[in-house]
Amino acid sequence: MDNKGLIFVVDDDPDIVATSRIILESNGYEVQTAANGKEAVSLLSRIKPDLVMLDVMMTTDTEGFDLAFKLKEDPEFKDLPIIMLTSFLDKVRAEGPGPFEFILGEAWPVEWLFEKPLDTKKLLARIEAILKAKKET
Amino acid sequence: MAAVPCHPENHLPWELLEQTQWLVRIRWWAAAGVLAAVVWAYAAGLVFAAWKFILVLGFVLAYNTWIYQRSRGRPDDRVSTPENWRKLTLRQIGLDAAVLWGLTCLSGGVASPVMFSLLLPVFCAAALLSPRSAYLFCAAILAGLSLTALAEITVGFPHPSILYPVHELDMLPHPLQLAAHLGIFAAVALLAARFAAAVVHTLRRQVDDLGRLRQAEADFGRKLQTLFSIMEGIGSALKLEQVLNTATAEVALVMQVKGSSVKLLTEDGKFLRYAAAFGLPESFVRDQMVEVARSPLNKRIIDGEAFVTGQVTAKEMFQFGEALSAAQIQSVLFMPLHVEGRVMGILGAYCEKPARFSDRDIEFFRLAAGLVAIAIENARAHEAAKTISNERNWFMMKVTHNLRAPLAGMLSILEVVRDGYLGAINDEQSEYLRRLDRRARTMLSMINGLMALARNRERTRVDPNAATKPEVLARRVRRTFQDKATEKRLAFQVNLPENLPPIRGQLETLEQLLENLVSNAIKYTPAEGSVEVKFAKANGTVRIEVSDTGIGIPAADRPRLFTEFFRSENAKSMDEVGTGLGLAIVKEIVDKLGGRTLIESEEGVGTIFVVHLPVAPVAKEAHT
Repeated sequence: MDNKGLIFVVDDDPDIVATSRIILESNGYEVQTAANGKEAVSLLSRIKPDLVMLDVMMTTDTEGFDLAFKLKEDPEFKDLPIIMLTSFLDKVRAEGPGPFEFILGEAWPVEWLFEKPLDTKKLLARIEAILKAKKET
Repeated sequence: MAAVPCHPENHLPWELLEQTQWLVRIRWWAAAGVLAAVVWAYAAGLVFAAWKFILVLGFVLAYNTWIYQRSRGRPDDRVSTPENWRKLTLRQIGLDAAVLWGLTCLSGGVASPVMFSLLLPVFCAAALLSPRSAYLFCAAILAGLSLTALAEITVGFPHPSILYPVHELDMLPHPLQLAAHLGIFAAVALLAARFAAAVVHTLRRQVDDLGRLRQAEADFGRKLQTLFSIMEGIGSALKLEQVLNTATAEVALVMQVKGSSVKLLTEDGKFLRYAAAFGLPESFVRDQMVEVARSPLNKRIIDGEAFVTGQVTAKEMFQFGEALSAAQIQSVLFMPLHVEGRVMGILGAYCEKPARFSDRDIEFFRLAAGLVAIAIENARAHEAAKTISNERNWFMMKVTHNLRAPLAGMLSILEVVRDGYLGAINDEQSEYLRRLDRRARTMLSMINGLMALARNRERTRVDPNAATKPEVLARRVRRTFQDKATEKRLAFQVNLPENLPPIRGQLETLEQLLENLVSNAIKYTPAEGSVEVKFAKANGTVRIEVSDTGIGIPAADRPRLFTEFFRSENAKSMDEVGTGLGLAIVKEIVDKLGGRTLIESEEGVGTIFVVHLPVAPVAKEAHT
């Protein structure tokens, strides 16, 4: 299959990482993975992903958010799209930075937020849309 | 309590002022009367030394003017102290007595009828000053009159009678006659002084008693007021620490003492710990623990006996004898704090004055201690309940979080297998994987429901000051459920009239409430049916009606509808995922918002859920 882009999956759940890899690779994406924020940062110095799929709760409850904010503040990565994943959507909605709408506002350092278990079709459609929009700009 | 001590003579200045002003008026009239008499006597051809009378009148007018000047206005402006007022009164009575004595001498001496006017100063002294001064005036007047009589007999002091022209009756009175005059006068004067003094004394005592009664009544009222404010202060606080601080401060204030403390027994009852103190040195209370068994005094108080002393000297009685004397505490009062016969600690009052606490203070302190004990018990019960509830919610959150993560992983793997990413599967395998998926999703939604319930309880997310615009709510519900309804081939409608007032509560909470009702309606309505959400205004509330043409709820199940995990039999038999938590969440939210829920349902026909939600307070900015 043709290479549609490099997706960087950051999640501490090996099952989620494995299934995401299968789904994404089957749909023509290249996949790199990391199990936590620290690993992700060190890997990012070597790879140039087109999109990051980031879990919220890893070693700490807000590790995913911390990393997302860090990337958005970094001039090198500020344009790197992030899709955030969480098992606790309502918790994230309630405690995240500002009210969450389907279209994310300024306060959210991510392009989209998905609840686990993932709806594969919606996820793939979203990734495609984001990458397409990115290419156009 | 009053800062001004109850002084029995407090009323004196006002009384003296009033009487002085009256005397001043009488003097003007008396002077005028005397003047008129002199003029009349002169005109009638009586021969007497009129100039002497005029001289006396002049003197009277002079000092009366002086007194008039001093007695104008309020007693506290002119002559500040009661002592000064007494002096002024004494002076004017003295001057009056002197003038009347002079008039007596001028009008015939001891034989003159004017002599009886000398009783007036005696009455005045008895009424306005003291019995003693009345007797002294009496003695002085008698001395003066005796002097006059003596002068008449020995040196031939002229005693011109105004009744008998001098030249017609110029004879020396007999000493016996003079003595009889004087004797009768003295007897009358002394009796009058004694009688007036007695009456005035009785009256004054009654006035003082009344004053004291009034003072006691005012004190009592103040104490009641303070008890009430203790109750109010500690009743409005639920945190134990806050209750203790308020209680000690209020108690010290009411008792008018330097400090107060609350010592609480540890759970095993073996130690007393200073839990709060007011007005006491830091060193006195910091980390102080008293072992009850080693402190006979505290032991006695805990056994239910109040303790009071006005002389903290016997150091062996106190574990902190040095601390007490260092803080210059002389009087202490300790009272057991008990509720329903169980002692929880000791309330103490400390004062720098010796022998400070009276029996009435002790009784009052007992009342206050009862109130403080109830407040402590109340706060403790509240804290215990809160801790239990917090722990339970924390546990529920933790459990549900830990259940969700592996379930999400499981469902992801299932999806990858079912979608054939790992190779083709046959129809039978696919069917069993579908069942597996359905069971796992049931579990997931049950966990979601539990999480929502736990979170709702964890922090009361219902903010009664928040306001939500019905339009926003309606928009969200429409957006969330339109696709789902279309997918199931259901007619879905959200009706919103214009100009609805904002609803009390945050958007998220109201959304959660409505989501539960609408998702139930969609879930339990078979294809081709309809689901409708209607907003309306009704009597200070916003009425939201969610109606469906679904399976309905059996009448027998309705009472249990809002209990956690309850699902009707006919709901369970449907091929739908449900947890039985949705309506429990709905009820919790509606209750917290102060709203009301109504259900109308017929099996096989449909269900109507009606929720009445209070309108938001007006001034608040509505949630957009």
